[in-house]
Amino acid sequence: MSKYLKRIACIVLAVLLVAGCLSGCGGKKNTLKVFLYMNDHEKEVYGAMIEKFKEAHKDEIDDIEFQITTQSEYNTTLTGMMTAKDLPDVFYVGPAAVKSYVDNGYVADLTPLLQEAGISTDDLPQNTLNFYRYDGTSIGSGELYALPKDASTFAYAYNKDVFDAAGVPYPDPNKPYTYDEFVAVCQQLTKDTDNDGEIDQWGCSFADLYMFQQYVYSNGAGFLDETNHTVTIDTPEFKEALQKYFDLTFKYGVTPTYEQDVALGPYQRWIAGQTGFYAAGTWDVASFMDPATFPYNWDLCYYPTLSTGVSYTWNGTVGFCISATSEKKDIALELINYLSTDPEGQKQLSGMDGSASVQVPNLQSLQDDFKAAVADGTVTYPSNVDVIFNYINGSDVAIGRMQESDYTPNSEWITLFWEGMTNYRAGNYASIDDFVNDMKPKMQESLDKAWATVENAG
Amino acid sequence: MAASTATKKPAKSKERVKLSGMALHEQRWGRLFVASPFIGFCLFSAFPIVFAFVASLSNWTGTNSIFQNFIGLKNYTDLFTDMRFWKTMGTTVIYMIGIPVGMILGLLIAVAMNRKIPGVKILRTMYYVPVISSLVAVAILWAWVFNYDYGLFNTIIKAITGAKGPNWLGDEMWVKVAMIIFMVWKGLGTSIILYLSGLQNIPRDYYEAATIDGATGIQAFRHITIPLVSPVTFYLLITGIIGGFQVFVEVTVMVANGGTNYSAATVVYYLWDKAFKSQQMGYGSAMAFVLAIIIFIVTAINFYGQNKWVKTID
Repeated sequence: MSKYLKRIACIVLAVLLVAGCLSGCGGKKNTLKVFLYMNDHEKEVYGAMIEKFKEAHKDEIDDIEFQITTQSEYNTTLTGMMTAKDLPDVFYVGPAAVKSYVDNGYVADLTPLLQEAGISTDDLPQNTLNFYRYDGTSIGSGELYALPKDASTFAYAYNKDVFDAAGVPYPDPNKPYTYDEFVAVCQQLTKDTDNDGEIDQWGCSFADLYMFQQYVYSNGAGFLDETNHTVTIDTPEFKEALQKYFDLTFKYGVTPTYEQDVALGPYQRWIAGQTGFYAAGTWDVASFMDPATFPYNWDLCYYPTLSTGVSYTWNGTVGFCISATSEKKDIALELINYLSTDPEGQKQLSGMDGSASVQVPNLQSLQDDFKAAVADGTVTYPSNVDVIFNYINGSDVAIGRMQESDYTPNSEWITLFWEGMTNYRAGNYASIDDFVNDMKPKMQESLDKAWATVENAG
Repeated sequence: MAASTATKKPAKSKERVKLSGMALHEQRWGRLFVASPFIGFCLFSAFPIVFAFVASLSNWTGTNSIFQNFIGLKNYTDLFTDMRFWKTMGTTVIYMIGIPVGMILGLLIAVAMNRKIPGVKILRTMYYVPVISSLVAVAILWAWVFNYDYGLFNTIIKAITGAKGPNWLGDEMWVKVAMIIFMVWKGLGTSIILYLSGLQNIPRDYYEAATIDGATGIQAFRHITIPLVSPVTFYLLITGIIGGFQVFVEVTVMVANGGTNYSAATVVYYLWDKAFKSQQMGYGSAMAFVLAIIIFIVTAINFYGQNKWVKTID
């Protein structure tokens, strides 16, 4: 009796085990896997869009496995998936990773798929699309490997309440300050508001690794040469940009000191209403417009100009790509086309339907409607919205460009620079020349190593 | 000798006969049960170790091929000339100053608590709360305690002296002091609980005999308590050193980017930085191997030396 019972129990357990394995291996035979990072609002909007897509394609697909993580966790998880050769059908690729992902065969070439499906990309911003083109040697031309999820920019913002209290006129929405004008305004905004003998409101504050590039580019300098192989931080233009940037702290005293920055970061000081100017990425707009997060009136403006007379900032983008090993490329292409270009989805994401705005619309044909919606108050957005579009599309007064680290195999070389900036602020260098002379060889060595991993690869 | 051999032989053959019956059946089941942890070890420990070693011999970035980017021992030779590796190793060792400090404090507090005083159980619980608290949560809390402008420490210092306290997390030297204070606080509960159990295992007779012989309290503490809690001290030392080499979360949470001039970064933080932020997985794997070897050597030396100072009641 017990012998038979044991056998039956073994068979039942074995069946359960096999069934469990099979279900774990994907019981639904036609599931599209999507792996992305998003904030809560994006997750809500994209989740609804994916549900809508699933409903419209229920004859072609059983389910869409929509896996979301945080931006900080994303690369680690995706690397694990690549190592395990278990990539999802749809995932993100940033401009910096296009070359590596293509060279190692992880992403599918979208060009023939788009042609076959008769999908046009003409209404997408072409300068953004070019970040996903790769010809086997360089980014910017050749086959297309992703459709942009968004085109974002890191604009400048000012706190209207701080300006009002100081009796300073708002920045001109059509004309950036010169450096000298900017210093003068910041000096008027920097003050001891509670008369305790200590400064507690500053003209501006800086998160170096996001807000120094604007000074470099506007002074006609760059971190690297055109080949992105040589560090160029020792040019006179670069050193002048460094000097002017640090003068705001050490000479004019219109930013918090290093010690004050360590105590409370620049972002927190902006949120606390302690600074006149701070940065506002397109992704920040929704939270800055939320009085619970930022209970002040504010608007967009341009970063000050240096010797070129043009205001610069850096742009960003991330794109939807399709795994080269995906067996459902056709439906995956339909999905990313829908997420990237569907007008209704773009209206939701940009806030044109009345919800919070997390990005400006991808479609150029929607840009005027978006601006009109901002003007009539449908979209909760700062009124100087042209600042954003001028940086993204480029104009006479403002230009947005990608950072050099978007074109190098890794960003360790520039991370060294940011660490050096912190050391400079902490008083560990005697002069700009000392700083540059110390940093350049370290950065070059790191950059050389990074390129060697790509160029010597088998 | 011959007789014992003669008696063993039939026993062996008898055992073989048994194995063909119920014992053999049980042995099969036994192997099946053993197979589960063994397979688990192979999959989740042995394979990753071998994989990481192979990766350490390559320029693996996480996205390229390990075997097509094989570079032999170059990562290891680079490591020995990498000043940042040695700097972070030095910082890691400096943080270990907290191990003896924590042990001394733990023993003293345990001695104080090893008596029948009202509320002692509440005190023991309070000291243990940091151990069971989320490391990330308490690290965030302590980052505020150490805050230059608004922190508890600097507020107290200013109230007492009228001068502003140090820039705990922004200064290259003070950040190490801050980290050590935090780590001692976090680990104190474990030391106290283990020392308490060690103290309660010491027979009272020893102290009575010492008292009759005229020993003072300090002499009894030095010659009875300290030697007889030495197994606990040894355990705390070993686990403290192994844990000390692996400090990571505290640095990530309490300071940005490894601190000013990378002054707060530990070797594991640097490993993570290289592997996951700079996509130098091969280099990170080499660092992990060197770290494992260092931990092994230090632990082996400790075990070798324990006979000289670790005493047991037996």
